[in-house]
Amino acid sequence: MKAGRKWVILVVAVLGFGAVRLPFEKSLHRELLDVGLLTEPLDIGTRDRIGQTSSAVALGGLRTLVATFLNLRAFGYFTVQKWMDLEETFEMIVDLAPRTRYYWETGSWHLAYNAASYYINDSELPALRRREEWRRSILKGRAFLERGVKNNPDDWSIAANLGFLLSDTYKFQAFRDPDESFAAAAEAYQRAWNTGNALGYVERSAFYALSRVRGREAEALEMGRQLYAAREKNRTPTLLSMIFVLESHVDPPKDPVARAVELFGSEEKAYQVLSGHWFRTRERFPVYGVAGVVKSLESKLGIAEKDSVLNRPLPTPRSLDEMFRDD
Amino acid sequence: MMDHSDTMSVKDSHVRRVLVIATHAFTQLVRMKVFYFLAIFAVIAIGSNFFNLPQHEGPESAGTEVLRSIKSWSLGAMTLFSVVISIVATALLLPKDVEDRTLYTILAKPVPRIDYLAGKLLGVMMLVFVSLLLMDVLMTAVLHIRTSMVLDQRVAYATELGWPQEAIDSMAAEVNAMGSTWSLQGAVLAVFLRASIMASLALLVSTFSTSTLFTATVSFLIYFIGHFQADARDAYLHVGEVGQGLVAKLVTLLVTLVLPDFQLFNVIDAVIEGQVIPLVTMGKLVLVALYYALFFTIASWFVFSDKEF
Amino acid sequence: MGETTPAVEIRNLVKDFRTSFRKKLLRAVDDVSITIMPGEVYGLIGPNGSGKSTTMKALLGLVAPTSGQCAIFGKDSLKVDSRNDVGFLPENPYFYKHLSGNETLRFYGKLCGLGGSALQERVEELLEMVDLTGARDRRVGGYSKGMLQRIGLAQALIQKPRLVILDEPTAGVDPVGSRQIRDLILKLSEQGITVFLCSHLLEQVQEVCNQVGIIFQGRMVKEGRLEDLIAIEDQTEIVLQDADERLIEGIHGMVERDGRASVVRTGKPRTTLERLFLREISEEE
Repeated sequence: MKAGRKWVILVVAVLGFGAVRLPFEKSLHRELLDVGLLTEPLDIGTRDRIGQTSSAVALGGLRTLVATFLNLRAFGYFTVQKWMDLEETFEMIVDLAPRTRYYWETGSWHLAYNAASYYINDSELPALRRREEWRRSILKGRAFLERGVKNNPDDWSIAANLGFLLSDTYKFQAFRDPDESFAAAAEAYQRAWNTGNALGYVERSAFYALSRVRGREAEALEMGRQLYAAREKNRTPTLLSMIFVLESHVDPPKDPVARAVELFGSEEKAYQVLSGHWFRTRERFPVYGVAGVVKSLESKLGIAEKDSVLNRPLPTPRSLDEMFRDD
Repeated sequence: MMDHSDTMSVKDSHVRRVLVIATHAFTQLVRMKVFYFLAIFAVIAIGSNFFNLPQHEGPESAGTEVLRSIKSWSLGAMTLFSVVISIVATALLLPKDVEDRTLYTILAKPVPRIDYLAGKLLGVMMLVFVSLLLMDVLMTAVLHIRTSMVLDQRVAYATELGWPQEAIDSMAAEVNAMGSTWSLQGAVLAVFLRASIMASLALLVSTFSTSTLFTATVSFLIYFIGHFQADARDAYLHVGEVGQGLVAKLVTLLVTLVLPDFQLFNVIDAVIEGQVIPLVTMGKLVLVALYYALFFTIASWFVFSDKEF
Repeated sequence: MGETTPAVEIRNLVKDFRTSFRKKLLRAVDDVSITIMPGEVYGLIGPNGSGKSTTMKALLGLVAPTSGQCAIFGKDSLKVDSRNDVGFLPENPYFYKHLSGNETLRFYGKLCGLGGSALQERVEELLEMVDLTGARDRRVGGYSKGMLQRIGLAQALIQKPRLVILDEPTAGVDPVGSRQIRDLILKLSEQGITVFLCSHLLEQVQEVCNQVGIIFQGRMVKEGRLEDLIAIEDQTEIVLQDADERLIEGIHGMVERDGRASVVRTGKPRTTLERLFLREISEEE
């Protein structure tokens, strides 16, 4: 056969072969995306990260191994507190291994906890800058976890971690609107619980978070009652206290003391738990009706006015001005 | 005098000759000490057990990083080995026969050229298959032992904390999913399928290339760019939306039609991270690989059939 | 198959090669026709690059003719089955270095569809014949040039072909090895196997072949029976043992008296350097 004609036939065959397989490959690709065996490139819109995503694609079969090495590198950055490099490295890691819970959780933990506390204590920066860096680190950690949740919708642990971060007593001041962050925390916990793999505390945590959102007390109360009814194990002191508090706000009982005794079992127990709850304002728990019932219980139990817990000073949340001072 | 066409049916003789050449190519590669790599792999697989990398790990997740590390190292080594061997060995065998003129002595025997090509390809694939099988056995064994260790540890911890049984079960299922699963075997098969495509592709390239270096370079390039075929395909199919020019459309179409879609095989990474491959999906991957391997082999024969030496 | 089917039939073979891309064509073989009847030993001689190897490759289907046909025992060379009855030893053959002599022969035997004990018997027989029984389990990579040629010859004979094609069978081999190979070729000829060899060593061809073709620059310039080609019809050679001066003078006188004939030359006949070498080393041993 003449060489020229041979090449023409070969080229036509290659193209034809490609055209035949195209629809099959396309649908298989779609199918693999749907069952989560392939991942859409993260943040496909951003052109600046395309090189990074490309190298991740081409590393087929080696991606998790490279991620392992990058994790090692990130740990190195952590030990010398190079937070920018650490963040960049974790961005690469989750590009390579978007389905690995560990990387999402570790990455956000470094940002929201380690980097944040570095800015509280160790940085040489002036107070205002440290405060801003502290806030930025926590927000980055949150954003990182949120992306992790988006990439792993069926993973309970990443979602629960997000809930934990958003309702962290030492963190929520970083979020501009506490109602928003507690609502988001409740949603994250709920999402974790809905996967069906989480431990029971996760569902209760969703309730604890929701009960701290101003304006959604009725909804929270409804949830608390369901939890109370669902399992004996759910009836923790916090849950009982919150049911009492929320009821006092939504639909105050005629005899609060009787209701407290009903919930806690005895006057002593009710007093012990509710007087403890009184001091949890620092965690932003509402205390509707607590002062009144504590006062009544104190008189019933014969506790002198001067020994009343209500006279003890409340621990106020440490303000950001206190945390960040130029010494 | 013997008349061999009478003593064997035509089909039988094809199969036999292909097997003779395949076994020979396999022996040749083995005697090139390719299997030394397996010793290195053994060190990696067992060693990855002890890579206690410094990292944050609470008792609640103890050990799962080690399991992932074993899988990452093992499948990473398998990927490297299979891709490099399938390309380099294929690129080496054909030109070597031409250069040493051993090809003359083979083609001067009653050996159809397709048998010769198919035999060489099969030999390389046999080598990759046997190597992967041995690596897989080792990886599965290491993983199996380590998974049960991690599981014992985690269950003991959970029991101590008084977790309810269903929570322990769910945790155990999570740990087992990180261990040796059928999907992991599927991932090893995917590694083999990808290597088969690469070997047949390298065979095609080597039928018209003049040097091993050229064949290997072109094959590796195709391997690399093949990972972006899917992106080119998307770009081509959605060309109207972005409003690219005619040139871009043509280029993306060409890439789509000419290059294999290697991104499909990135399921391997997802499996390492604990995802499950459904059997039907695996079957489709096998079909894709078979389609490529057959086409490339036939195309190789087409080029090789009237090549002169 | 009747004796009338030629073992080799090359008719008007033309082969052009493209020297380099878009350059003019190089005609390697130009209208060559060769017919070899079964049982003949045919020597194709010519300088390097005269088209000998190309002719053989065309006969084996390794290159496709630009025009003309080649056939082995009546079967077209471009078809695979034409190669059932032919064995080929290429010029300077290399075999798979990783195989032993035994394995090499088994490999080629299996390619021809042989197997089992029949194959192993044939392999032993051939190793014996080419005198490599002692080296059967050594890797071919360690063989000397002569051993390679001999294992190559054995390989060519593995399926008992009726025709063997040898391309420069003694090129680069020392005189002892060369002799061994020539003896083997003669043995094959005795067994009735047709031999087609090519060489640029004229003397070698002269010793074993009964048919000779001379090829130069791709064209066949002379072809025929060896005796016919090399005999000088109008000259006669007398070689005398222990003749004294007187007898020689007498002969010279007789020639002068004859008037028609003349003495072309007298002197001591010379042995060839090769013969001398072989005689000397055999005395050494």
